[in-house]
Amino acid sequence: MALRRINQQGIVLGIFAVMFVAFTAFLPGFFTTANMLTLLQNVSVLGILGLAMAIVVIGRGIDISLIAVLAVPPGLVLQMVQDGSSLPVALSVALLLSLAFGLFNGWLIAYAEVPALFTTLASGLFLAGFGQAALFKLDVVQWSPGLQGFEWLGQGQLLGIPMPIIVFALACGLVAFLLRSTRPGAYIYAIGDNPNTARVTGVPTRPIIVLQFVLAALIGCFAGLVMAASVNSMPTRIFNSTMIYDVILVVVLGGIGLSGGRGGVLNVVIGTLLIGTMLNGMTIMDVSYSGQNLVKGVVLLVAVIADSFLNPRNEETAQQGDI
Amino acid sequence: MTDNVLEFRKATKLYSGVPAIDGVDFQLRRGEIHALVGENGAGKSTLTKAMAGVVTLTSGTMLVDGKEVAPKTPLEARHLGIGMVFQENSLVPTMTVAQNLFLGQEKFYNRLRGIYIAAQQFLQSLNFDVTPTATVGLLGAAQKQMVEIARAVLHQAKVIIFDEPTATLTPEEKKYFFDLVRDLKKRGVSIVFISHALEEALILADRITVLRDSKHVVTDDACNFDRDRIVQAMVGRDLSNTLYGKRKTAVRPAGERVLTIQNLKLAPMVKNNSLSIFAGQITGIFGLVGAGRTETFKIAAGVLKRDFFHGGEILLRGEPVRYRVPAPAVKAGIAYITEDRKVEGFFETMSIARNVYLGILAKFPGGRFLLSRKEAQTSGEHWIKQLNVRTISTHAKVVELSGGNQQKVVIAKSLAQDPSVVIFDEPTRGVDVGAIVEIHDLINRLAEEGRAVVVISSYLPEILALSDRILVSRQGKVVEEFSGLDATEEKIMYAAIH
Repeated sequence: MALRRINQQGIVLGIFAVMFVAFTAFLPGFFTTANMLTLLQNVSVLGILGLAMAIVVIGRGIDISLIAVLAVPPGLVLQMVQDGSSLPVALSVALLLSLAFGLFNGWLIAYAEVPALFTTLASGLFLAGFGQAALFKLDVVQWSPGLQGFEWLGQGQLLGIPMPIIVFALACGLVAFLLRSTRPGAYIYAIGDNPNTARVTGVPTRPIIVLQFVLAALIGCFAGLVMAASVNSMPTRIFNSTMIYDVILVVVLGGIGLSGGRGGVLNVVIGTLLIGTMLNGMTIMDVSYSGQNLVKGVVLLVAVIADSFLNPRNEETAQQGDI
Repeated sequence: MTDNVLEFRKATKLYSGVPAIDGVDFQLRRGEIHALVGENGAGKSTLTKAMAGVVTLTSGTMLVDGKEVAPKTPLEARHLGIGMVFQENSLVPTMTVAQNLFLGQEKFYNRLRGIYIAAQQFLQSLNFDVTPTATVGLLGAAQKQMVEIARAVLHQAKVIIFDEPTATLTPEEKKYFFDLVRDLKKRGVSIVFISHALEEALILADRITVLRDSKHVVTDDACNFDRDRIVQAMVGRDLSNTLYGKRKTAVRPAGERVLTIQNLKLAPMVKNNSLSIFAGQITGIFGLVGAGRTETFKIAAGVLKRDFFHGGEILLRGEPVRYRVPAPAVKAGIAYITEDRKVEGFFETMSIARNVYLGILAKFPGGRFLLSRKEAQTSGEHWIKQLNVRTISTHAKVVELSGGNQQKVVIAKSLAQDPSVVIFDEPTRGVDVGAIVEIHDLINRLAEEGRAVVVISSYLPEILALSDRILVSRQGKVVEEFSGLDATEEKIMYAAIH
């Protein structure tokens, strides 16, 4: 088993290396400091979302509503500041909204026992629709003077490194600490490995599942703030994009089995690097949007097929509605 | 032409090396009703499954009408004229009776009116009082069974096998079922049925076969049997040379009354069950399938999901408790060690040390927000040594261990929680002989330490070897209590069957 997992990570790392070398050799302008920083900056939001997804997937769930929570609470911050609220007030409201959303998802999944896939599919649609219908005046919520200084989170630099990269690194550190070194982290792996055993052993499975979705919502909101700060606006239509597939791609490709209990932050980093390199290379090659979708679709298919071979789900503990 | 419609010669079926039936000879005569009796795990189900093509024999031959056959699927068996009515219904609950009858035989254009008429005529010819347009899910147990029987007849079965046909029936329905089986016999159909109710076997069957520990014991005409002879044949083991050979010469006295269950109800498995568990001794719980033993203790430990509590009281040291999930029960000191370790026993991709450590975390979360690698390692090593788990290292994954060692890990995970009530559900199922001895020693040690120990087992010698006190469960409640000193296999079996 251990050998297998190393192999999977090795394969992904190998593909990454080959792609990286090929792009360096054949794509002028790929391997430059400027482009490398752009690459990392572009994928850092995706990486942060990947961390949120990883927490949930390790616990045998999935969160399709991440893009809604990426768009709506941060969009609300921009909108409220535009309408005259102060930044701290707006941030607190966004935080509370994300918290409530995560609690709602978690409660439905853990206590009402609705499958995670359908819960988050519906709740994400609801949140995005609520934002577009009731909160935002325009599809793209614009920057306003009241946010002066906040763009540092997305555009600033520390020691010459763009902030999004630093923020991603910090988030990785925090999530890794949570998963590897704390009791709730151990519980998340236990639930992912075998929810029945976790339950019988006395693990408070339901509160932990709620915790997973609350953390995912908060991290998703945070990723949205970083995104808004780097582009000086919040295009709320991002919910209608294919971004959620990119997030799933990062997690699965990185080697976190969809059957739960396996993988960690390192896998998210590997997956993010691979996807970032792929997207960056395609952009330099000027591949069209639909062409990029085609490539991503094929890669995602290959990744989930490989995943179900390498991490087969345990028939005896699989439940209806499991992903 | 032979008189036997179905015959087994030296039939053996191994499940990962362990025989479920071992060299069994069996003959079914044309037009007879044949009862199969034996304890849980005696091999009755496996034998009938081999007849119906659900499992294939590891060795030995099966003959239908004197010709050697080897059905590999239930469909092949059906073509040979063998139909089985399963314990769990194999009907589609959302379809109508007629649709179920003709399932798999539909024409490309499946005209409902046509099959309703055909079904009506067919059911009438059998004298079955079932409406063909009724939805199967809404029918009672007896009517569902009728549909299953009708389907077997429709498939022109020469042999119909019933697995516990009367378990879910009311007394009137049972009478009707008996008439039905006799009617089938008149039509020349041979019947095999498994039953735990000896009276039924004696009344209904022409011949009775008794199995014990995977082997054939005796086959004889039903008129030559009585209750005593059947029970003798079911339990008559010669244990003098085995690990179960030594009898208890002293029993531990009852300590504090730790767990009291009063009038516990959970439809349909537990009916007004009342019992008490005392500290410092081993209480053995014996019962046949469907006796509600596991369910009762799963309710007590909060393990049962969707516990639609229908009444009754559970007292832990005099305090009423009612656990909806296992976590508070674990914190209160109740450990339930499952009969199905793959499903809810261990974390397969994790190391032994991690399994044990998770048990500790769940019971004593205080001051353990940050994980301690050192504590995980030392507690893992401690319990591996305590239970003599044979493994290369504490880092070995549980899925890589043998059944016996896996069971030890499951036990270690619970014992690390220092429980005061330990409930073992089939503690030695799928465990090799060496490990059985060790697990039994451990169970005895736990009682010596003053814990209240419960052992649920379907294996009589295990119950007798371990228990200071034996409770016999039948149809959802405890019906008899024996002291470990004067209990015998016969007495217990008498109480367990009905």
